[in-house]
Amino acid sequence: MIAEPEVEIHPQKIIDRNKRKEDKFNFIKAILLDIFLVFYSLIVLQRAIYFKFILDLRELPFSWNEIGIIYLISVVTGILWTSTKTSLSCKLFGIAKDNKITKWTVEIFSWFLFNITFIAGWIVTKFSIVDIFSSEGIQGAQRIFGALFQPEMGIFDDALFAIIETIYIALLATLISIPPTLLLSFFTARNLMRDNKIAFTVYYVLRIILNFIRSIEPLIWAIIFSVWVGIGPYAGMIALLVHTIASNAKLYSEAIENIEEGPIEAISATGANKIQIVWYAVVPQILLPFLSFTIYRWDINVRMATIIGLVGGGGIGTMLMQYQGLARWHEVGLIVLMIAFVVWVMDYISARIREAIY
Amino acid sequence: MILEVKNLHKIYNSGTHALKGVSISVEAGEFLVIIGLSGSGKSTLLRCINRLIEPTSGKVKFLGKDITHIKGEELRKVKSQIGMVFQQFNLIKRRSVLTNVITGKLGSLSTFNSIIEKFDKEVINEALNNLETVGISEKAKERADSLSGGQQQRVAIARSLMQNPKLLLADEPVASLDPATSNSVMHYFEKINKDFGTTVICNLHFLSLVRRYATRVIALKAGEIIYEGLPHEIDETWFKTIYGEEAEEVEIR
Ligand SMILES: Nc1ncnc2c1ncn2[C@@H]1O[C@H](COP(=O)(O)OP(=O)(O)OP(=O)(O)O)[C@@H](O)[C@H]1O
Ligand SMILES: [Mg+2]
Repeated sequence: MIAEPEVEIHPQKIIDRNKRKEDKFNFIKAILLDIFLVFYSLIVLQRAIYFKFILDLRELPFSWNEIGIIYLISVVTGILWTSTKTSLSCKLFGIAKDNKITKWTVEIFSWFLFNITFIAGWIVTKFSIVDIFSSEGIQGAQRIFGALFQPEMGIFDDALFAIIETIYIALLATLISIPPTLLLSFFTARNLMRDNKIAFTVYYVLRIILNFIRSIEPLIWAIIFSVWVGIGPYAGMIALLVHTIASNAKLYSEAIENIEEGPIEAISATGANKIQIVWYAVVPQILLPFLSFTIYRWDINVRMATIIGLVGGGGIGTMLMQYQGLARWHEVGLIVLMIAFVVWVMDYISARIREAIY
Repeated sequence: MILEVKNLHKIYNSGTHALKGVSISVEAGEFLVIIGLSGSGKSTLLRCINRLIEPTSGKVKFLGKDITHIKGEELRKVKSQIGMVFQQFNLIKRRSVLTNVITGKLGSLSTFNSIIEKFDKEVINEALNNLETVGISEKAKERADSLSGGQQQRVAIARSLMQNPKLLLADEPVASLDPATSNSVMHYFEKINKDFGTTVICNLHFLSLVRRYATRVIALKAGEIIYEGLPHEIDETWFKTIYGEEAEEVEIR
């Protein structure tokens, strides 16, 4: 008889090992974050506050050497600072020493970061009270608002067609998105994908790709696709479709991550396989949230389709852009009113349907 | 011997050391009850036995076979021979009682047939029989979440009966039920244990139920076994050791 191999590691050792590994990992994360924070502070101090605010330069001088030097300084300071275990990042990752110095550095540095960010934001947006209240500006605004309330009804039927086109673009994008979104959402739900390495890798890679796609605005997608497939409703539809898939896959997979674990446990305890578990324990729990997200997304897509039209995605947005380019504000007025009406109706309908579902 | 657990440790990723070297042997036909305070590791132990969670070290032997490290098809096969009932019933709320019971059979149904929900006449009849056993066959067509707690737990028992289990694990099956319903649900476990000879391992909180149904008792405290014996041997001193000095026994009938 062959002796059975014993897998006996002392449990306390496992606990200690995990703790050490985690601490090391947190330390590296803290160093990276500290370097970034110092770098950020120095850059903002130099470029926004010193050059722009104090020297009031029009053209900011730029040289890679300078930035390289600032970066080097940040790396050295960051590493030294993290090693003292009193930095903000150490506190964030839970490896800081628990003493007065930590408390003070964390408080002062957070306050400092908040302030320079706020000031830099102020400077970058060129915040100016003067512009808002200049008489020239106010006159322009008056002209447009005046026109908006005297809409030109002559283009009503054209605008109606255009807005119907917009609604259909949104509807089609939403409908076509459903099957791929469903499929993707299962592969990007953490609780379904964590039990083995391959599954987790797939989960991770898909998440990154989807995050990337989602981080690009539908407007940019529309520009890309209008070059790719030509300006018009088709480009607008594909742009919306891509973005809808990426963002709904996230919502769906979050719904999957939030389901009750109990039924999953119960079904897997019967010896069911992965597909059976998903079908019986996961699907019934997510059907309604999915439906509700999809309807809500249609509503959002109508609004987005309008915006996308501005860059040549077809529909009412394209029409709006044309009249706006000609400065025909009365026609623009009609179009804006129609958009507002449709958006309001869609919002209302989708809210009602979602209420009825639950 | 149907089940043998040897020096079992479980350390959760959070670092909690939930089981610290637990060893038990269970003979076929026993009604073993595990007691212990909240957090003592009772649920963890049951879940390690049917491998819903992975033990950190130690060994689990079921029907003489080491199942601690088996995987895939082999693991599902073993799981399908061990029934499990939970405190929260864990039924599929939006589906019918009958469908819920049939899910107990998933381990031996083909994936395709179970997805299109095409079940053999025999499977359906078996499900109805098992509902009969727990006395609620008239509810077969109703939605699972329309039933009362006690009825839902009986559906869960019927579901586990579909597995023709050699071993039935029950994790505080009556903890969310009122005393009268508790007793009637426990009664079905006793019936299954006596009539079908199914070995039962059950986590319980109330000593009166323990005395009435258990053939043997194990007490856990902070992940270790501190008592093993017959139910009527748990006296005042043992009670205080298990549940702490402050505890006082409440009677439930
Ligand atoms: N999934 C988990 N992750 C991390 N720790 C857990 C997990 N499940 C349980 N624990 C911890 O393990 C210990 C034992 O928990 P367990 O659920 O086994 O206790 P129990 O005896 O069943 O308690 P109860 O009577 O409350 O159900 C507890 O300290 C608990 O916090
Ligand atoms: Mg428990």
